[in-house]
Amino acid sequence: MGDIFSNLGLGFSVVFQFVQWTPAFLGGVSIPIPVNILLCLIGALVGTLVGVLPGIGTIATVAMLLPITFGLPPVGALIMLAGIYYGAQYGGSTTSILVNIPGEAGSVVTALDGFQMAKKGRAGPALAIAAIGSFFAGCVATVLIALLGAPLTRVALAFGPAEYFSLMVLGLIFAVVLAKGSVLKAIAMIVLGLLLSMVGSDIETGASRMAFNIPELADGLGFATLAMGLFGFAEIIRNLDAGGETDRKLVQEKVSGLMPTRRDLKETAPAILRGTVLGSILGILPGGGAVIASFAAYTLEKKVAKDPSKFGHGEIRGVAAPESANNAAAQTSFIPLLTLGIPPNAVMALMVGAMTIHGIVPGPQVMQKQPDLVWGMIASMWVGNLMLLIINLPLVGIWVRLLRVPYRLMFPSIVVFCCIGIYSVNNAPTDVMIAGAFGLVGYWLIKHDFEPAPLLLGMVLGPLMEENLRRALLISRGDWSVFVTRPLSAVLMAIAATLLILAVLPSLRKKRDEVFVESEN
Amino acid sequence: MNRYGRSLASGFLALLGGLGVSSSQALAQAYPTRNITMIVPFAAGGPTDVIARIVTGHMAQTLGQTIIIENVVGAGGTTATTRAARAANDGYTLITGHMGTHAASVPLYPKLAYHPEKDFEPVGLLAGTPILILARKDFAPKDLKEFIAYVKANESKVNAAHAGVGSVSNVSCELLNSVLGVKPIGVPFNGTGPAMNALVAGQVDYMCDQIVNAVPQINGGTIKAYAVATPERNPSLPNVPTTAEAGLPAFQAQAWNAIFAPKGTPPDVVTKLNAAIVKALDDEGVRKRLLELGSVIPPAADRTPAALGTLVKSEIAKWTPVVKPVN
Amino acid sequence: MNATPGHAPVKSIMPKWVRNPQEFVGGIALMAIAVFALWASSDLQGMRGFSFGAGTAPRMFGFLLLGLGALITVVGIFTEGPHLAKYHWRGPFFVTVAILTFAFTIRTMGMIFAAMAAFLIAACGSPETRWTETLIVAVCLTAFCALLFPYALGLPLQLLPTFMIR
Repeated sequence: MGDIFSNLGLGFSVVFQFVQWTPAFLGGVSIPIPVNILLCLIGALVGTLVGVLPGIGTIATVAMLLPITFGLPPVGALIMLAGIYYGAQYGGSTTSILVNIPGEAGSVVTALDGFQMAKKGRAGPALAIAAIGSFFAGCVATVLIALLGAPLTRVALAFGPAEYFSLMVLGLIFAVVLAKGSVLKAIAMIVLGLLLSMVGSDIETGASRMAFNIPELADGLGFATLAMGLFGFAEIIRNLDAGGETDRKLVQEKVSGLMPTRRDLKETAPAILRGTVLGSILGILPGGGAVIASFAAYTLEKKVAKDPSKFGHGEIRGVAAPESANNAAAQTSFIPLLTLGIPPNAVMALMVGAMTIHGIVPGPQVMQKQPDLVWGMIASMWVGNLMLLIINLPLVGIWVRLLRVPYRLMFPSIVVFCCIGIYSVNNAPTDVMIAGAFGLVGYWLIKHDFEPAPLLLGMVLGPLMEENLRRALLISRGDWSVFVTRPLSAVLMAIAATLLILAVLPSLRKKRDEVFVESEN
Repeated sequence: MNRYGRSLASGFLALLGGLGVSSSQALAQAYPTRNITMIVPFAAGGPTDVIARIVTGHMAQTLGQTIIIENVVGAGGTTATTRAARAANDGYTLITGHMGTHAASVPLYPKLAYHPEKDFEPVGLLAGTPILILARKDFAPKDLKEFIAYVKANESKVNAAHAGVGSVSNVSCELLNSVLGVKPIGVPFNGTGPAMNALVAGQVDYMCDQIVNAVPQINGGTIKAYAVATPERNPSLPNVPTTAEAGLPAFQAQAWNAIFAPKGTPPDVVTKLNAAIVKALDDEGVRKRLLELGSVIPPAADRTPAALGTLVKSEIAKWTPVVKPVN
Repeated sequence: MNATPGHAPVKSIMPKWVRNPQEFVGGIALMAIAVFALWASSDLQGMRGFSFGAGTAPRMFGFLLLGLGALITVVGIFTEGPHLAKYHWRGPFFVTVAILTFAFTIRTMGMIFAAMAAFLIAACGSPETRWTETLIVAVCLTAFCALLFPYALGLPLQLLPTFMIR
């Protein structure tokens, strides 16, 4: 325990480091400047700013802003990047709640109830509870990393291809079991998502699949591109034919209170706690655990709720739980990086890139060799979360006011921001066109009462499932029994099977229309 | 504001000047008069990106213009390289290519939309990253000789990880396997991170990878290295023998990185750029940062555009029999 | 963002025996997508010994979608449901044209032109647009983007048309 405190102490001393600044115009008087705190603040601000732009998710934001940290000293650069990361995450939820444009897989779930809350004039409480939940989850996860980082690493290493495949199967079963009234249509959407995720180059042979020699399709359809089309553009198009103006006026008239009420807080407290626990555990798994964190948290919340029918219609717990899970997972996903030096996901790979630029390549000894770096980063996570809370609670009012902009001016702006956002992710005009095409597809789906959320889920889980299945079979030389002979995998499969059996039982049938129901307006 | 003002001003100047005075000579003498775009065909923070940023940072000082790095990711770097091949050949769009984009891509993608030799002017070699033969820490063979014997004897049992079709780790492992005359099962991962994770966790047996990613893991004892596939040992891993020392001289591989310009870029522009590269590679600060990454800095004789042209030709010849085409 | 299924009694082009045209057409469309995907992946290799080929998974999902599409179509025949929703052309048309304009002009004409054009074209998609305020907002938004992306965030975005830079 003593170690932990001295380590955390070291971390905070790094974060709160003061640098003496002696500008010439003050005639030799030096001012102490908390450089790292300032960098964290700037990172959080810039991250929020970019993350809030529709069309730019967390990974894209971090990738985009990575070069601006290259000129800084290593510790400062990483602290700033951590700030950007959390800022982007928070900014992403803001767009999901306000305009129903999720920038990444985790926010798809936030958008379900968050956007409905916004439509009912409760955008303020939705944004605030997302910030509060995220902060709480961040605090818990930070302590968890400091306390149990090293032993938890073993969990990450115990997960091989077979285990990940089973986990993804479980994820898909979640989606099926709790899908909307027409289970059939929801399953069809998941399968369509899986099919779309097959576009691009095959992982094992490199063969180009359904890419029609379009170079931009060679690596598959981007999640952000698709989400932007199916949610963002489709929503705009639909609003245009429904007379968006009247819709929006209703929203403005309804705006009631910016902060969550005492009752909201009381209701969401257990949800935040459950989300945090679930997210912390799933986040440690490097090969895609974090992807299903927010989704699993939402499902769990619905399962334990007394009145699950509220979910999908602006239930505040449906925002609080997935947001907490998402942030906790984002935090604990640092564990493999800090203890093994191996980046578990795309954002972490960028962090490693930032370290590499400074000549530090993290490895299993990074904790011993660069304790200031590791603990500084852990401490900065907490500080970053605190800052986001401080920045975002006052911002809630501004965001909510944004909703009062007349829709006739709002929608062309969203179109332009989305275009620039998608384009700037990879400087590829084709991505913008693909998003436009999926906007029309999304419009068609709405007209036929198909929901885009399960589609996006299938799209995210598809490659993870296929790749891990194939890896597992390659390693086992085609022996399918690995999925049940490896204990962890067997447990996951058993849970999946149980859920499936339960799903067939008619008693559960009623509950199905609850998770992916989005709105009836 | 600087950039905006300058491009605006030069735009008006060009308009006023009747747009006609741009003979290639007049252009080249003044070159560069505006920002240069450097396309990097990989994600920010990857080995190629890091080397490109270190060197272009110094080149920008020499040339007196900003060099904007544009990371364009996709299809093993060939998306970006195709774009660079089609860019204006005025010296304002350059690309940092590497072993994959400008050599192994030729046999790998039969439908490649560019040819490294026909569509590009070689400008100059930047730095190379040596390839290591790595294995999980409890893999039975103790040294390279035992490894060769073991892999040959257990060809159907061993698993070789790689970071995706066409990646450096994939292509160099294909070379190793063809030198050894074995065809083990290749287990594909999405990038070097997950592949390294599987190696550390002991889920796969061996892999080939660039030195940058592997040094800390080797020093930390989570994986082991049999040999480095360069003629000389690397200062960051003094205890790891070269393949020649350890008994496999035929396996030589280095992930080299170099700057190319679209075909038809004026020769004096290329000369100017090459001089800036050479100057950067002689700079103490640049050298120090490159060496920290385990990179190998090319000797003076290898830094000319002509030498790069020869390297590309020989590398294409080297990879063609080894790399299987994808369709 | 769910359907407001067209409850309005539209003149149906569907034959009488289709009792839920929305599902019927949706199912057929999914089947068409599945057939297209199966065709598009027909050149890919199937199982190779014990390991999956490039085409194995796409075909699996293709057939699955085909089956599901067929089921939905059948459901569309036998259950009662809403009419086909009404499509409007104005919104989708202008928003799509705006997006395409942006995509085609961004690399040659620069961001200032592309963003302005996209904004103004998209604005045509709504009958509620008032042109004076739209123009003002378009100019402000473009200026904001022109400052934010290349300068504040340092992104490699070209602002001006290529011919003006050369």
